Amino acid sequence: MAVNLELLDYDAIARRESEKRYGKWWTLAGAVLVALVWLVPFYYLAVSVFKTQTEYASGLPLALPNSLTPIIGNAVEAWTRAKMDIGMLNSAFYGVVGAGVAVLFAAMASFGLTRLNFRGKDMWFMIIFAGTIFPFQMYLIPLFFAYQKVGILNTHLGMLLFYIAICIPFPTLVLKNFMNGLSREMDEAARMDGANEFTVFWRIVLPNAWGPVTATFLLQFTWIWNDLLFSTVLGNRAETRSVMNSLQVFQGSYSSSGPNLVLTAALLASIPSIFLFFVLRKHFMEGMKVSAL
Amino acid sequence: MNEISQKDQAILARIGVNEVEKRDRRRQKRDFGVALLFMSPALLMVCGLLLAPVFYNVYLSFTNWRKFTGLDELIGFANYERMLGNPFFGEALTNTAIWVVASIVFPIAVGLGLALFLRDVRFSNTFKNIIFIPRILAPTAVGVLWFYVYAPQGLLNRGLSAVSGQQVDIGWLYQDNTVTPAIIATFVWQTVGLVMVLILLGLAAIPKDPVEAAQIDGASRFQTFRHVVLPLLTPTLLVVTILSVLAGFTVFDLLWVMGASYPGQRSLSLAVYMYFEAFQKGSWAYGSAVAVIIGLVVLSVTWVQAALQQRVDRMVR
Repeated sequence: MAVNLELLDYDAIARRESEKRYGKWWTLAGAVLVALVWLVPFYYLAVSVFKTQTEYASGLPLALPNSLTPIIGNAVEAWTRAKMDIGMLNSAFYGVVGAGVAVLFAAMASFGLTRLNFRGKDMWFMIIFAGTIFPFQMYLIPLFFAYQKVGILNTHLGMLLFYIAICIPFPTLVLKNFMNGLSREMDEAARMDGANEFTVFWRIVLPNAWGPVTATFLLQFTWIWNDLLFSTVLGNRAETRSVMNSLQVFQGSYSSSGPNLVLTAALLASIPSIFLFFVLRKHFMEGMKVSAL
Repeated sequence: MNEISQKDQAILARIGVNEVEKRDRRRQKRDFGVALLFMSPALLMVCGLLLAPVFYNVYLSFTNWRKFTGLDELIGFANYERMLGNPFFGEALTNTAIWVVASIVFPIAVGLGLALFLRDVRFSNTFKNIIFIPRILAPTAVGVLWFYVYAPQGLLNRGLSAVSGQQVDIGWLYQDNTVTPAIIATFVWQTVGLVMVLILLGLAAIPKDPVEAAQIDGASRFQTFRHVVLPLLTPTLLVVTILSVLAGFTVFDLLWVMGASYPGQRSLSLAVYMYFEAFQKGSWAYGSAVAVIIGLVVLSVTWVQAALQQRVDRMVR
């Protein structure tokens, strides 16, 4: 049976194929509508930070700003009034040191749990992992009380100690699973050559686990950066406040002085996590997946 | 019998099995010491700063500790009995129950809907990324942003005025009947992106063969989804549901930031109620008891998840 190629309606075939692949045009329209609804708050944020206070109060919330320059004044004012410099420095310190030390401790524990031979490994792991099963509310009162007794309430040290502890269990789970899959031949070779266990950990296992180590570090850093609850309870002084706590305090005390200033502060506080997300997107997505499953 | 075992022992001694065993045991002991050294920082931090507080919290809930007295005065279940008659506790419990139901229904309904809808649309990746974006922001920043969206002169009221043609003046975050739904809407806006991504991963893992077989047998799209895709997606949906229930049950940041101007803020959820009682009123023991209740609920949800997970695993196998 010969097909007369000239009688075929190529446009119709292409259209049918494309519809089969992507659905009708109205599905695209629906998706655009959903996306617009999702983005409106962001658009509102974006135009608000470019407005002066009078402009914000008098105009429509979604109107475009008259000029782009007010953002500089807004940023400076929000930065100084919300004491963002101290908040940012504190959070960066808590995040980098806290998550760094926590992931190091977690890696050491995982090394012990996977590369050495002893009984009752599951029990030891469960003790560490038990740190994730209780809700945060159960830590607050005893910690507040104990910190007060020891004298580390509202200090950088106290905040840091807690952040290290809370960031240990989850990386231990991830790194233990990862190290279980690493080949043990290199360890044995190094041991034959007279390396001690710490050298094996530091020179051989840790460099091989670099991928999950960075992924868990980033996740824990973001957790600490975003934390509001523990900063409110354990470090609620101007000198020790985290950036999110500063933001919340600023919103509470300056709600009369113009939403655009508070929104600018919210944007400033979010820049590091947005930046990290886009720069390290792949790591992050992997981290999110492991954190959820 | 005896003779054989003697002979065996002789052979074993000759090839040195006993020695090997002994060396093995010695090595295990040494390894355990080294492993303990490696685990000790993690163990110390977790036990000292997380597990010990949990036990101490349970102890506190049975004392009469308030302000500066009563720390060593055990009063049994009196703190728990006090909850039963407290109207704020009742309201907080009701609101928490609303949060739990909402965080089962909405993330699944919206997340699954979006996942199925955006999977085959043109430019599907762009749309998925847009839905995911709110997730990168801190809950505090999201709370601040939506606080102004819901403000009396805010974006939402202005928008409704423009659409309806008359002045709309709803105090979304000031009224009893709107404050919880409004904050839940924000919660869904922020968290549903991750739910969608997880469901998409689950959908991608479903084998093609049964789906195609159903289509060849003449099943409609809905039938295929209902009887082939949905059962295979159940494990994913289960994990996602439990995750969002635990997140919704213990949510604090959003309620703290967005509920700041609501007169009844303390009864927005058990987590906020516990904070008020302990850190603002100084009823430490009573606050500990509320924390224990929160802990019991979280543990039982985790336990139900483990049980269901086992059943689903068996079904799939």
